[in-house]
Amino acid sequence: MENSRLKAFKNGLIKENPVFSLFLGICSTLAITTCVDNAIGMGIAVIIVLTMSNIIISLIRNITPDEIRIPVYIVVIATLVKIIQMLISAYAPSLNTSLGVFIPLIVVNCIILGRAEAFASKNNPMDSAIDGIGMGIGYTLAVLTMSLIREVISTGGFIVSNPFTTEKIFGITFIPEEYCISLFSSPVGAFITFACLAAAVGAYKAYADKKEAEAEKAKEVK
Amino acid sequence: MNKITHLTLFLGIVSALAGGALAFANQLTAPIIAENEAKAAAENLMVMYPELDPAAIEKVDISGIDSKTIEEVYRYGDCLIFKMSVSGYKEGTTFLVSINVNDKTIDNFQAISNGDTKGIGSQVMDEPFKEGLLGKDASQDLDTISGATVSSSAVVNGIHEAANAVDQLKGE
Repeated sequence: MENSRLKAFKNGLIKENPVFSLFLGICSTLAITTCVDNAIGMGIAVIIVLTMSNIIISLIRNITPDEIRIPVYIVVIATLVKIIQMLISAYAPSLNTSLGVFIPLIVVNCIILGRAEAFASKNNPMDSAIDGIGMGIGYTLAVLTMSLIREVISTGGFIVSNPFTTEKIFGITFIPEEYCISLFSSPVGAFITFACLAAAVGAYKAYADKKEAEAEKAKEVK
Repeated sequence: MNKITHLTLFLGIVSALAGGALAFANQLTAPIIAENEAKAAAENLMVMYPELDPAAIEKVDISGIDSKTIEEVYRYGDCLIFKMSVSGYKEGTTFLVSINVNDKTIDNFQAISNGDTKGIGSQVMDEPFKEGLLGKDASQDLDTISGATVSSSAVVNGIHEAANAVDQLKGE
């Protein structure tokens, strides 16, 4: 059981990465990945909402009537998102300004409703929590990778700052300003980056599947 | 019928619980959010009054005023600080003007941004224009900039509008 839990957790990271493999939650991914700070903030918000909503929905899965499960899930998710939004605007106002409408839009992020329907409504709270964290980290890794690539190409480096005080923690520059491609901070750059990364994940998936199939074949022969 | 009652009741209870949780979170965060907003507003005003104490300003309710150019009004001591947004040739000229409520003199002026031609209309952002306004009666004629009449007139008209609003806001 422990092993399968670990496997489920790892699945969310690359092979079943919600963004690059399941193609869920792309809207926010394309929009907020202009800088690393945004990606970290959004990632943390999604991890919290996803984990909490998975736990709550899993807890009430046996008493939720089947006919109205979707409205119930939406109410749960919307409540969590609204609470997170209030907390962000209270304690990290600058993050609230830069993420703007995409915080409330977590409600309609397909990853969260998708995991509620596909996983949390059928499994116990513990497994659902692990699934939520795994998928949340998968999403965070996806937005982090994208924002890193976009910020470095469009501004030459990247900056990480404390979301609570806007104080700069860490900043590094790789590319001199004359060679930066500002296109990458625009939506076009988002699509290009997304396509390249999705292709890379797809290639990895194909490679892993092939290896697995070969290993199975070898077992059969034995 | 029974089924429908059950479903309605269930959804009702879930919504009520959600509402309760939201009310609790709101109670916790509302004062901090209000404080943050006040701080952000004060930072704008500090461009004009560097020594300003954020606690001394108070946002004035302008819902009773019919004006498209007045964006925000703050009370600071004897003065009302207006944040105005006017259009010269183009939109996008914003400025702060602080008017003394007793004699309507212009206590301070600060241009924030200008959308007009650089070097001509943008003169409203420069010191000489500001110097010409300070201490004058905001409801009377004010100097415009020759050569940049459209931009500076837009600002002056904005100041007149603010002066008109002073009477309305003074008593509140």
